[in-house]
Amino acid sequence: MSVKTGKRISFKRSIVIFLTIIMLFGFVSFCMAAGDSTLPVSAPGGETPAFPNLYVIGWSLVNFLVLVALVYKFGYGPISNILEQRSTAIESSLKHAEEVKSEVEKMRIEAQANLAESRKEAQEIVAKASKAAENAKNEIIAATKEEVANMKTKAEVEIKAATEVAKAELKENTVILSMLAAEKVLGRTITEADHRQMVQQFVNEAGDLLC
Amino acid sequence: MIFGMWDGAFFKLGPIPVDHLIVTQWVIIALIGIIAYAATRNMQLVPKGLQNVFEMAIVWTYEFFTQLMDEEHVAKKWAPLLTSFFFFILLSNYSGLIPGAAHVEGFQPPTSNWNVTMSLALVTFFAVHIAGISENKLHYLGHFVSPSWAMLPLNIIEEVAHPLSLTFRLFGNIFGEEMVIAFLLFLAPFLVPSLIMGLSLLLGAIQAIVFTILSASYIGNAAGKGH
Repeated sequence: MSVKTGKRISFKRSIVIFLTIIMLFGFVSFCMAAGDSTLPVSAPGGETPAFPNLYVIGWSLVNFLVLVALVYKFGYGPISNILEQRSTAIESSLKHAEEVKSEVEKMRIEAQANLAESRKEAQEIVAKASKAAENAKNEIIAATKEEVANMKTKAEVEIKAATEVAKAELKENTVILSMLAAEKVLGRTITEADHRQMVQQFVNEAGDLLC
Repeated sequence: MIFGMWDGAFFKLGPIPVDHLIVTQWVIIALIGIIAYAATRNMQLVPKGLQNVFEMAIVWTYEFFTQLMDEEHVAKKWAPLLTSFFFFILLSNYSGLIPGAAHVEGFQPPTSNWNVTMSLALVTFFAVHIAGISENKLHYLGHFVSPSWAMLPLNIIEEVAHPLSLTFRLFGNIFGEEMVIAFLLFLAPFLVPSLIMGLSLLLGAIQAIVFTILSASYIGNAAGKGH
């Protein structure tokens, strides 16, 4: 026999014992009542209440209508009101939330537009700055080139002048040396005018080759 | 005094006699009123405690009666009356189980008297016709001759039978239960009646539910689009 079945049987047995005890108590109390002369030994007649009792009907109607009024006044009325208020509050909250949401969406779109515009402006600024820098660079390069060209021209002029001076000096020195050399070779003094004519002629012929 | 019941005036309020069970009715009404007042005296938008329970109960009654009566607005209109039926009958039935019932003067379960159950059934009877006329106007009267004029007597009998059945069902059950308990108390006052009293708890609730559901059904039918 399983433990579960054993428990069920012992439970049934307890119920039977309990009911037996109750019936015994009932029987004993009935016997005691029967032995007591002051108590009625026969069951009283089961008469039904008089009908119609218009006073009872009237009072009951009034009482019940008062109860309905109380239930409406303190039960359904306030609770219906509060339910309606809550419903209105929830509706307005939802509406407000919807408004806030749409406003936030609007602000987001506006912010995005602003951001795009700012980006565009920034790009324009960068482009302008780049262009200005390019221009400045070109200007500086052009100025530098011009300056270099000027310096070159000036240097060339100076070099040419110096060359001319050097040529003139060289010619002069060459004439003097040639005169000294001719005097030594001829062993006589030639006139200044001869020399000059001869040297000048020589220099003129050879000078261009030397330089 | 008949068996376990007083059948006469307890005292007189001016010229009007007041029965014992009328005093019990007052106590029951006061009890329901006090509980309802306590639950709703400080209503909050965010509910707490007893208000929560009451709100749930009332919303539940709206849903329950809407299922029974089909139309939500009809259910909402008649829910206070039907709920009053339920609690009044339930507490009246249970009042007979409290020690002292029908022994202490002024304490007698009201639903064990058919004058009281007839009063409740009369309320249902009038509520049915008021609901029918308010929802369907004069078309409501057409159902008395539906499907033909020949059915008029039967339809009238049916309308009268409804409150009569409500009266006798409730009265018979509760009076019978009270009689059985009183008889057992006479025969074996120790422990034996407690078994029947336990069953009476169930019986009292069932009778309250049956009366309420039938009333809701009658009102719902009268207010329905069928008329």
